[in-house]
Amino acid sequence: MEKSRLDYTIITDTFASVNGRLLEHESKGGAMLTELYRAHVGDWPKFFKMDTLSKAGFLASELLLKECSGVESAPETASDSNRGNVHGSVSDSVSDSVSDGAKRASDARCEEYVQSRAVVLFGITGSLCADRNYQETIQFADNYYPSPALFVYTLPNIVTGEIAIRNRYRGETSFYVLDGYDAQSMAFHIRCAFQDSVTDSVLAGWVDSSGNEDFRSFFILVDRGAAAAPGMLENEIMKIMDKLK
Amino acid sequence: MEEMILKLKQEIIEVLNLEDITPEDIDNDAPLFGEGLGLDSIDALELIVLMEKNYGIKLQDPAKGKEIFKSINVMAEYIQKNRTR
Repeated sequence: MEKSRLDYTIITDTFASVNGRLLEHESKGGAMLTELYRAHVGDWPKFFKMDTLSKAGFLASELLLKECSGVESAPETASDSNRGNVHGSVSDSVSDSVSDGAKRASDARCEEYVQSRAVVLFGITGSLCADRNYQETIQFADNYYPSPALFVYTLPNIVTGEIAIRNRYRGETSFYVLDGYDAQSMAFHIRCAFQDSVTDSVLAGWVDSSGNEDFRSFFILVDRGAAAAPGMLENEIMKIMDKLK
Repeated sequence: MEEMILKLKQEIIEVLNLEDITPEDIDNDAPLFGEGLGLDSIDALELIVLMEKNYGIKLQDPAKGKEIFKSINVMAEYIQKNRTR
């Protein structure tokens, strides 16, 4: 019987991994995001216009969805946890119903998910990085040229919109600004997304950027089964968050 | 004029973050919006800011942008005629 797991991706300013497999890259920080975009996505020029928060979230979501749908097998270099598990399962002890649901929810580009997939993200600093960048364009009276392109990213939930537009999702999108890493709160809000009659899966994650060169994010794909399994979501989130700290 | 067109293309590429585009890729007569470069409404606002910041041209009527931003050639001609810096 196939073991269950939540697929996940992690991107920080120094490394990126998909289900525990580190992705190859030569650069760090913002340049790393561009390098990974060119290597693994490459067909969404809007990426270059995004702020750092959106780039980190967008890229993490792309890598996860491609992994889930099998569109792309990311280059493998090493395990970020030395677990010796190719798939890097966060947990091997969840129910079979979770496994079935995860497989059903796996074809990320499938039309089926246009209506039924929600995007629920979390972070601490919100759009502070974009706010600072925009502030620089209006800081001096003799050089006062407010940038529309920077202004549009001065809301943290823009990253959820970028992901929804890319995938044509029309389900719920939310971005919660938390005081800190809080698996309980994240799991609670992810479960809340399933309370409507249309949501079958949630693309959830943590994305945070305190500077153009300083960011961290992780994404998971959660189905109803995973959300319903007692304590499972909290445990999975905590295990992934441990890799970010 | 050719020098100015090249400079304008470089400025547009930089301000609009068109990272995969080079000045040579931009046809002087191709539409900047819709087809062509496929720019959007936020890009249009950035071009208005670019004209004011770099050339001292303040568009009083943003709707005029539709005509001015028709192509690189049209934009360059407008800047040439109206620039204050």
